Amino acid sequence: MGRSAAALSDGKLKRTTAASPKRPRRRRAFSRSDRFTLGVFVGVPTAIHLLLVWIPATLTIYLSFTYWTGINYSDITWAGLANYDNIFTKTPLFYDAVRNNVIWLVWFALISTPAGVLLAYQIDRQIRGHRFYQSAYYFPVVLSLAVTGIIWNFMLRSDGFINGLIGRDISNAVSFFGNYDINIYVIMVIASWRHVGYIMLLYLAGLKAVDPTLREAAAIDGATEWETFRKVVLPAMRPVNIIIVVITIIESLRAFDIIYVIYGTSAGLPILGVLVFQNIAGEGASMKGAAYAVILFVLSIGPIIAYLRQQFREDVS
Amino acid sequence: MTTDQNKVRGADVGYTLNRRELLIGAAGVAGAGALLAACGGGEVGPLTFGARTVDESPTKQLKALVAAYEAKTGNTVTYNATESNAFQNNLSQYLQGTPDDAFQWMAGYRMQFFAEQGLLVDLTDVWDKIGDQYSESYKIASTGLDGKQYFIPQSWYPWGMHFRKSMLAELGIDPDGIYNWDDFMKMLDGMKSKGLIGFAAADKGGWEAMGTFDILNARINGYQFHVDLMAGREKWTDARTAEVFKYWEMLVPYMNDNVLDLEWDGAMQLLLQKKAGAMLMGSWFGGNFKEQSDADYEDLWIIPFPEINPEHKRDTIDAPIDGFCAAKNGANNDGGKDFLAFAGDMEGVQAMLDTGVPMTSANKGQDTSTYDAFQTQQLAVMAEAKYITQFLDRDTRPDFAGPIVGPALQSWFKNPKDVNKILESLQSQWDALPPL
Amino acid sequence: MSVVARGRKQEVKDRVISAFIGVFALLWLFPILWTLWSSFRPYSEIRARGTFSLPERFGLFNYADAIDRMELPTYLWNSALITVPAVFLTLLFGSLIAFVVSRYSFKFNVGMLLLFTAGNLLPAQLVFIPVFRMYLSIGDLVGNRRFLFDSPWGVVLIHVAFQMGFATFVLSSYMKTIPKEISESALVDGASVFRHYRSVMLPLLRPPLASLAVLMTTWIYNDFFWALVLMSTDRKRPITSALGRLTGEYVTDYNLLAAGAMIAALPTLIVFFVLRRQFVSGLTLGSTKG
Repeated sequence: MGRSAAALSDGKLKRTTAASPKRPRRRRAFSRSDRFTLGVFVGVPTAIHLLLVWIPATLTIYLSFTYWTGINYSDITWAGLANYDNIFTKTPLFYDAVRNNVIWLVWFALISTPAGVLLAYQIDRQIRGHRFYQSAYYFPVVLSLAVTGIIWNFMLRSDGFINGLIGRDISNAVSFFGNYDINIYVIMVIASWRHVGYIMLLYLAGLKAVDPTLREAAAIDGATEWETFRKVVLPAMRPVNIIIVVITIIESLRAFDIIYVIYGTSAGLPILGVLVFQNIAGEGASMKGAAYAVILFVLSIGPIIAYLRQQFREDVS
Repeated sequence: MTTDQNKVRGADVGYTLNRRELLIGAAGVAGAGALLAACGGGEVGPLTFGARTVDESPTKQLKALVAAYEAKTGNTVTYNATESNAFQNNLSQYLQGTPDDAFQWMAGYRMQFFAEQGLLVDLTDVWDKIGDQYSESYKIASTGLDGKQYFIPQSWYPWGMHFRKSMLAELGIDPDGIYNWDDFMKMLDGMKSKGLIGFAAADKGGWEAMGTFDILNARINGYQFHVDLMAGREKWTDARTAEVFKYWEMLVPYMNDNVLDLEWDGAMQLLLQKKAGAMLMGSWFGGNFKEQSDADYEDLWIIPFPEINPEHKRDTIDAPIDGFCAAKNGANNDGGKDFLAFAGDMEGVQAMLDTGVPMTSANKGQDTSTYDAFQTQQLAVMAEAKYITQFLDRDTRPDFAGPIVGPALQSWFKNPKDVNKILESLQSQWDALPPL
Repeated sequence: MSVVARGRKQEVKDRVISAFIGVFALLWLFPILWTLWSSFRPYSEIRARGTFSLPERFGLFNYADAIDRMELPTYLWNSALITVPAVFLTLLFGSLIAFVVSRYSFKFNVGMLLLFTAGNLLPAQLVFIPVFRMYLSIGDLVGNRRFLFDSPWGVVLIHVAFQMGFATFVLSSYMKTIPKEISESALVDGASVFRHYRSVMLPLLRPPLASLAVLMTTWIYNDFFWALVLMSTDRKRPITSALGRLTGEYVTDYNLLAAGAMIAALPTLIVFFVLRRQFVSGLTLGSTKG
């Protein structure tokens, strides 16, 4: 009942009565023009997608096994695992980057994403002020990362707001971005500032499709809100939960924009995304960058596959 | 898998600039107007110029140059400016794709590398026309690895110890009296006792600290060792390299706490706001002090980095040369060359100087009698040096300087005690670099 | 669905929750508000008199300056040139794939869906070097190096390629909720595939298309990675890159930067604000068995 209610939300759909007998599903013979249409419908997008996403991805994977400056094709020489060996055994920066990505993931998983989920639940319950809250928390998501970087630079620079608040100036400022012990957490606050709203929105979209009768039934049974959430809503949201988990993992692994805006390509806060860019673009380009990209890809593959399996199960049914 | 690291084909990075040559070059040969007007000025159609800066003062100069060229030749020049870091990060894509016909770039291996890849236009014939306006050492600096020229110098600036005269006066110290390390330490102590930062340092961009490394290495171990280290002929794990960090660590108590939080302009701010006593930097920021006020600019002073090892005195200096190149993949190669011929000629240089923005040109024709005190002092600082280097990220392989040395120096700031680990890692990463 | 009256205990809890969320909401907005505040003040005043000084000069001069120095009309136009076609094409292609995959049963349906949604999750850095070279090669083939590289169309295409997956996913989820009978009756009427799509399904897709349009506009407008690496002429880049210009190499006037940032944020803020009601209501994620 709930689902059709959602589909009817714009009031344009009419329910046809189920009076006509069920037609047997037989394979239709498509006319030529139909086949052409289908071919175009499917072919054009798929071609673009393959050409600009999958084929380049494969090429990059291949390139990670070569030495190349990225300029003349004739300079490509086979390197085997040399780039990977370099990264794993000779580049301490890599482990710093992995550490930071892990912290990113853990923070997102334990703090930001749950915050977004709980926020969505409360807003969906339509507590007082929910409309304002929805906009307020989603606001940062709408801003570009260049703008976000500027805003937070304002707040945290050596001559910015927070330092001004605690009475320090440029000579004795707290080094929010430069102090290696705290800067990852500072960045996490900024990243969460956006992430919470993003998760909140996705969860809200999923929540509104949950059958309201389920919740009413729970209320009648005398469950508290928290119990309702845990035992009724959360399980019903399983597909969306998986989406949320996958997005959380992917976003923490491929983070790049915010770090680039604040640190450029220097190693002020090394993360995998920046290591890729630092090594693959610019003057000192080498295929070590491609190897970093592949490592990034391999780390992301786990969640992607988990997600796809969920999709597969759904679509087959 | 053996790689011949010594094949850094920037074979001898750094140049032995003959001191006298440099002085002659800069001392100003009168009669700039006598130089042939035939330098630059053909009908070559519209062309594009890429500037590597969006900053106010340099942009003023460059736009004046472009305007003068357009006025003279009637060719239209489209001026494309990109922010410096974005430009550098994308140079490889830029040159391979759709570059401007002429663009602003830097001398050193950074230029030679791209010439090697066939992405720059051979400028030998341009040098034939205007070469006599530059001393031999600039020509060497503009030459690629194959012996041809690919670069037209524009300006240079020394990396030295900058002070505010007024602050030193308060301490009763004469800046020119700071000759060696002990003198320097005394000055730092004086600053600290007044609650100020002695030595303003910045390294958020990853490159700023390379200047300090360069000069300490050259002072302690000499020019030849530094050049050899850049080329991979000496090792980072050598005891001599470790000495550099020993001295550097002595400076740490006098530095600001937020080294990794400041980019170079942050350190400059410390000096500008009289919160710090000394700053090792290139002299380009004179324009920024002038923008603030004339009084600030007049208070600015520079001396060579103090002597540490009497064997080497103060004979080496980082003096990067900025200039122009023409891109092979540009739409109008002839236009690019024509423009560069003008830019390198005294006529073009004069157009830039006429803007009033301080600039130390590489061209012999710049009338140094018009130099203000700060510029004259820069010349004096340069004159004392026998050897000129281009700065670490221009003297060594780019895939080593930016991605490897930069982070290594930053990690040293995070924990100076890790110096041995860092040096070992640097050496092993150098060894692991792919063959060129 | 409103809160079911559950008695005083829950009501009190709800008040506390609401207050708690409210306080955080204000904290959430504070950085933006501070930046807005700063954009109305001149940097020289802040430098001279401190961050918390009471404003002497207060007004829109930074905005005028930013518009002047930033060449804003050009950059906003560049952003539009990229965002509008990209959103349109993404929604178009997404709807085409979603349509075929959910209304017809072909063997490749599941595979396609997997392909697109996985592609959406790949990191951008994984593909950019080959894409860069591809663009140049295609350009050489056509005789114009700027055909795809350093051209808004190149950026449009890569956005479309990456974002199609998400659009497909949302639209196919939504289409699953549309009863099969609709399609069946269309087919009985002898509609061609094209008519089935255009006249029958497309009109029903308004809600998710509207929401996706808002989301995609935000994402594509805000992106700067692709424009950074696939364009080399700064003047052609979208507005997010223009902020890089303002940041400049040397001394930065942060209040001016704030004004520029606010201007750059304006389009997405307007879109979001105007369409915020439709936004969540039109978005369908997953199919929940209700």
